Amino acid sequence: MFGLIKGMGITLKNLAKPKVTYKYPHEPLEMPDRYRGIQHFDPEKCIVCNQCARICPTDCITLTGKKHPDPNKKGKIIDTYDINFEICILCDLCTEVCPTEAIIMTSNFELATYSRDDLFKNMKWLHENDQNIRQDNISSKPKPGGNQA
Amino acid sequence: MDFFVILGPVVLLFIVLGFVTYAIFFERKVIGWIQNRVGPNQVGPWGLLQTVADVLKLLIKEDVIPQKADVSLFKLAPIIAYTPAFAVLAVIPFTESLKFADIAVGLLYYMAVSSITTIGILLGGWASNNKYALLGGMRSAAQMISYEIPLVLSVVGVAMSAGSLNLTEIVKAQQTGVWFVLPQFLGFIVFLIAAIAELSRTPFDLPEAESELVAGYHTEYSGFRFAFFMLAEYTYIFAMASLITLLFFGGWSAPFGLTFIPPLIWFIFKFLFFVFFLFWLRATMPRIRVDQLMEFAWKVLLPLAILNIFLTALFKEIPVLSQFY
Amino acid sequence: MLRTEEMLLNVGPQHPSTHGVLRLVVKIDGEIIQDAEPVIGYLHRGTEKLAEDLNYTQIIPYTDRMDYLSAMTNNYAICHATETLMELEIPERAEFLRVIVMELNRVASHLVWLGTYLLDIGAMSPFLYCFRDREQILNLFNELCGARLTYNYMRVGGVKWDAPPGWLDKVKEFVKYMRNQMPEYHGLISGNEIFIQRTRGIGIVTQEMAISYGLSGANLRCTGVKWDLRKNQPYSIYDRFDFDVPVGKTGDLYDKYHCRMQEIIESLKIVEQAVEGFPEGGSTMAKVPRVLRVPEGEVYVGIESPRGELGCHIVSKGKDKPWRLKFRRPSFYNLQILPALLKGQNIANLVAILGGIDIVLGEVDC
Repeated sequence: MFGLIKGMGITLKNLAKPKVTYKYPHEPLEMPDRYRGIQHFDPEKCIVCNQCARICPTDCITLTGKKHPDPNKKGKIIDTYDINFEICILCDLCTEVCPTEAIIMTSNFELATYSRDDLFKNMKWLHENDQNIRQDNISSKPKPGGNQA
Repeated sequence: MDFFVILGPVVLLFIVLGFVTYAIFFERKVIGWIQNRVGPNQVGPWGLLQTVADVLKLLIKEDVIPQKADVSLFKLAPIIAYTPAFAVLAVIPFTESLKFADIAVGLLYYMAVSSITTIGILLGGWASNNKYALLGGMRSAAQMISYEIPLVLSVVGVAMSAGSLNLTEIVKAQQTGVWFVLPQFLGFIVFLIAAIAELSRTPFDLPEAESELVAGYHTEYSGFRFAFFMLAEYTYIFAMASLITLLFFGGWSAPFGLTFIPPLIWFIFKFLFFVFFLFWLRATMPRIRVDQLMEFAWKVLLPLAILNIFLTALFKEIPVLSQFY
Repeated sequence: MLRTEEMLLNVGPQHPSTHGVLRLVVKIDGEIIQDAEPVIGYLHRGTEKLAEDLNYTQIIPYTDRMDYLSAMTNNYAICHATETLMELEIPERAEFLRVIVMELNRVASHLVWLGTYLLDIGAMSPFLYCFRDREQILNLFNELCGARLTYNYMRVGGVKWDAPPGWLDKVKEFVKYMRNQMPEYHGLISGNEIFIQRTRGIGIVTQEMAISYGLSGANLRCTGVKWDLRKNQPYSIYDRFDFDVPVGKTGDLYDKYHCRMQEIIESLKIVEQAVEGFPEGGSTMAKVPRVLRVPEGEVYVGIESPRGELGCHIVSKGKDKPWRLKFRRPSFYNLQILPALLKGQNIANLVAILGGIDIVLGEVDC
């Protein structure tokens, strides 16, 4: 009997405690800088090395390149770049391998749509997704102050 | 007078519906606060219209009857469950003048009529042709029958002290002496536990134990038939909270001579305290197990209730104490 | 004696307390269980087979989805196995970060267990309280690696991210906060007579039974067997920390509960020590080649996940992909004892016993 009364005291005490829930979606959730949201893509920087498509565990990235329009320059430029967010698991490996930071994470995460087709994002869409881009992109390098414990 | 007889129950029905609406809302709010949440706050100002919206949703839902169900019983069950819940309110006096039926055996009437609901629940569970519903219905029947006995026996002490089974008389008996919660404390505890079990609220919510039986006897019910079961459940909360107030807390009588507050307000105040207590309990307690529930009723509550009767009879004969009994 | 008929009851795959998509075919007589048979596989995704077609880095996000309540330990299992085969030296800083996140994850996982267990038994509020506290851990992880559940944090040779500025202070604060929360849980649950009634003496596992069924984790320790891979086969840098292995006596559900509650305390102890001794500077990644080619060979490593011994067996043929990968998932092994425990119990105990085993269906089905 005593334990029950003690438990009731604890629940009563919690009645007055401040609420811990978020007001999402009325107030947008602020995600930390490292948050793995939807990728931002910068066609200017892409060198069509295909590394992102190769590292992707779910094969959700498809890209094609074309020859550089300026005949004096070597290499390719990006032609199409699509990410299928139906199967993308936001594992961040594509941004990790990208040598030029052409593909980079943002902390936007709202992807819900009414149609699966809308989840197929092309280069233009990914390029326009340019808010909340991750600042701190050099992973696994000791940060100054990382151990300011 | 005729006017009151006809219109009174209708008004009461709407009061009960209003109570049920806001009891559900209040329950969700209280449990939300206890769990560091805000509770429903989207529909209407402060979420006040949440239950209204929920009920509306239930009413416009498709009326689903399982193919293999016993259709007529399936339809009948919610009615059988709800009718007695409303019928018991007839004998509850809210104040000295505000009452519907002033019968001499009011208490007995309450106990007798309220047990009819069990039949509705059992029928619903059986007619659904669902194994979980059947288990829930069976549990419900077993639980109601076992807990009715200590429930009735625990109020015998009150009836002995008041010398009447009429609820108005019981309240009047408390106005001259102390509230029965003090002299009948043992009876009160037994009654409280048995009442919670009768209401099948946590920790005795076995008939609809969500984690075990999905939804118990109303697993297959949806739409307004489901709403009727819910309505019955919350109407019983209304009735039971009223009854506890009447039997043990002096009904509408004001404590400490605070008579400037009208009796009806006192009644509502005491009544709401019990409603809150039920919600608070629900937020705290885990569920008791079905066999332990039975053991508890027969081996603990029943002897205690009988002991209470003997003690009341004994104390009535002791000169100093008898003024309290 | 009245002749009664037995009834087959399908518990799950859609049932509030099967913790996912487990299905139990239960033969009941009244409410007494005569026979129970777990049917698994509803969440089978073929992780092990898929892994044969993925390189070692690509497997890591898949392991996140096995035991989704403690993805960090899964990450570690595959990384540790690969590193063992490659004989890599892991930088100090990475090891400390790994230990911190794994132990925090253990706390988070046990909190989910506690909350859902109490929900199974019928109490609502502890569930919300547990999630309130777990939220803090998830926020810490979110800040560290950018995800709340599927961390994909560890890499072969180290970890992906170093701790962001001020993160370790937050961890320290959390340890303090969590310690203060423990009395609340104990007050609400441990002394609750109904909870004691529901758990004490129920689902008793004897030591012999536990060992012969291959149980591990709290399921084994509650019977009194002091077996914790962090102590008995130290991996990573666990040998440097001072912590106890809580054991039970009777092997009933109440002991399981207490084992897990104490494990939370022990984990917090480890986190605290790891934050204290966190090395200054240094890299968080070992020098690994761009393309990971694991030398030919075979390795099995077992680590202590919140649920028990999480093993990872890799057979490599010297390619950048494993030739065969096998996970020993503790939930899968622990679940096997369920039919034996359920015989003769009633439906209410089914839920309590199933919850006590602490299965994660993502891991059972893998």
